[in-house]
Amino acid sequence: MKLFILVLCHGDIRMNKSEMKYIKKEFYFSKVIRAEILFTPFLIALPLIVGFSLIYDWYARGMLEGNPAFNGELVLGIVILVGNIAFDVPFVRSLRVLSKKK
Amino acid sequence: MVKVAERLRDTKKKINSLDFDAHWYRRTFHAFGASFLVYYILPDVDWINILKFWVPPFIVVFVIILEVLRLTGKISSDHFFGLRMYEKNRVGSYVFFAVAILILLRFFPQQIAIPCILCATLGDPIIGEIRQHFGMNYLFLFGFLVCMFFFMIAWFKSDILLFVLASIVGGFGAIIGETKKFWWLDDDFMIQMIPAFLLLIIWISIPYFGSGYPGEIIYPGTMPW
Repeated sequence: MKLFILVLCHGDIRMNKSEMKYIKKEFYFSKVIRAEILFTPFLIALPLIVGFSLIYDWYARGMLEGNPAFNGELVLGIVILVGNIAFDVPFVRSLRVLSKKK
Repeated sequence: MVKVAERLRDTKKKINSLDFDAHWYRRTFHAFGASFLVYYILPDVDWINILKFWVPPFIVVFVIILEVLRLTGKISSDHFFGLRMYEKNRVGSYVFFAVAILILLRFFPQQIAIPCILCATLGDPIIGEIRQHFGMNYLFLFGFLVCMFFFMIAWFKSDILLFVLASIVGGFGAIIGETKKFWWLDDDFMIQMIPAFLLLIIWISIPYFGSGYPGEIIYPGTMPW
């Protein structure tokens, strides 16, 4: 990191191989994080869709038709929703903190 | 000099935030795996059955090819965000995760596959958080209870004896799978396969208990048209 700051402070210095490699790595890292941010909507939305689908299926085929066989789908849907939201919230918050810092 | 110190502090903060981000990214990625249960929701129609047969192995083969390219150095490990340090020179845990899910979806009844997948997707990150915040003392007890809950959901339609047996054996198998780590075999694989094989033994011996097989939890959906 000291190296990186050195490069920032003295932009005119000639970089050696390891310095170049470090900068390249830093570039890769920011690229990967960008890819991760692009992937986030899918990462968050799909489990929620699956959870809601299970709850909807319980409602449509279980509750409305008075069939208790679908109760498992309700519990499963709630577990998937709660489990995912519990991890999505801190993840999105950390992404926001990161983007604010950037 | 003060400026350099300030910059150092700023950069250190940034790096720390990146680590934190990777941590939650891994957790979210785990929880995302629960969406593979969509496999059981899909309607029982010919063309969807073909998709159900081909898409999961296609995804796993794609992941394996990606991993081979990474390990042979054709793709830099730097492109894989959230990869752990020890995974740099061995097969990544996401490959084990995907292979285990494929085996469960393809070869196990859903009463076994669903709780085992939930153990890896939701149980594993919860256990990780317990380990981080409360230490190892609470890990076994709370981890066991969390995983047992998933097996209770899946076996609630069975007889009381089977319900209790499957829940305890499943929870026990999952916690053993989570805590036993090998360099060459990841816990993401073990947490799914150990309870799956233990429950398979129970599943095979159900007729000897004199009871019937528990009903399915997820029923295939119907086409809206």
